[in-house]
Amino acid sequence: MKKLLKNDAFQFLSLSVGITFLIYAVEAAKERIVVRTVYLTFFDVLVIIVAVSTFIGLFQVWVKPATIVKWLGKGSGVRGFILVCTFPIFMGGSLFTIFPLLKTLREKGARAGALASFITAWGGKAPLLPLETQFLGWPFALLRLSLVVFFAFIMGVLMDRVGDDPA
Amino acid sequence: MRAGLVYLIIAFGLLAASFLKEKQRSQEAIKATIKILYTILPVLIFVFVLMGLIQAYVSRETIAAILGKETGILGILYAELVGSIALFLPPAVFPFGGYLHDNGAAYGPIAGFVFTAILIGVTTLPLEFKLLGKRFTTARNILAFIIAFFLSLFMGFVLG
Repeated sequence: MKKLLKNDAFQFLSLSVGITFLIYAVEAAKERIVVRTVYLTFFDVLVIIVAVSTFIGLFQVWVKPATIVKWLGKGSGVRGFILVCTFPIFMGGSLFTIFPLLKTLREKGARAGALASFITAWGGKAPLLPLETQFLGWPFALLRLSLVVFFAFIMGVLMDRVGDDPA
Repeated sequence: MRAGLVYLIIAFGLLAASFLKEKQRSQEAIKATIKILYTILPVLIFVFVLMGLIQAYVSRETIAAILGKETGILGILYAELVGSIALFLPPAVFPFGGYLHDNGAAYGPIAGFVFTAILIGVTTLPLEFKLLGKRFTTARNILAFIIAFFLSLFMGFVLG
């Protein structure tokens, strides 16, 4: 039971159900609107979510963190900088999942700028393009994606000036 | 829906190719995929309930007044603040952004929300402090907020 209560999936689902019931208790008509929105959006994205998760799952097993570190470890110089501003765009995961990888990169001697560029480029989130275009359209998605490379570049330059913490 | 099916076919095609190349690794990929779905789906449902709540209680006019075109710089700043604080998994960011757009929010603020929701996490700060250092973390998050602001301004300008 304790384990169940600590489970994220359980927490989010029970919170969702709880809120819905609460609204139903207070104002039944509003509950219909909520349920309708959830239902419609959910089936709208389910197929896309399954596809996107498959992309990310495949990426995870075919491109191991060790491989990434090896590629980017050579990372000084122009080639490394270009790589670090673009390659992470294709990775999945949340901030929680990439921080450990960054720690490894840092221990291997990656500069502050390279790490910041990596995080920013990772924010490009190309695996989620199907979702982004569905909800915000191609012009938004493509413009954002190209700006992310620029964003990662600027971050790298600026963060190199800030410098690193003494590890 | 049709676009979704195309993606699904591509995904399964890649998966099949992966199986032809190496069976064991592909089984790992399927396990990883299921784990991702298990993490994402409950959060998505929660975000959809949140969207439903807004749909039920917040009028289009209110959203437009806070995040609409006329709000200019302020709208982007509001959206960035929400994006920085909100506990959002990246896959939930886009449906929510699209939802706000359908309900009167302009592209600039939505871009601000998307950038910061993915790149800045008040909830991830402790971990970032611990793994990458205080100086790095503080500078990175502040810079990300500022640069995201200008990029969002630009996106709002281009997309109208």
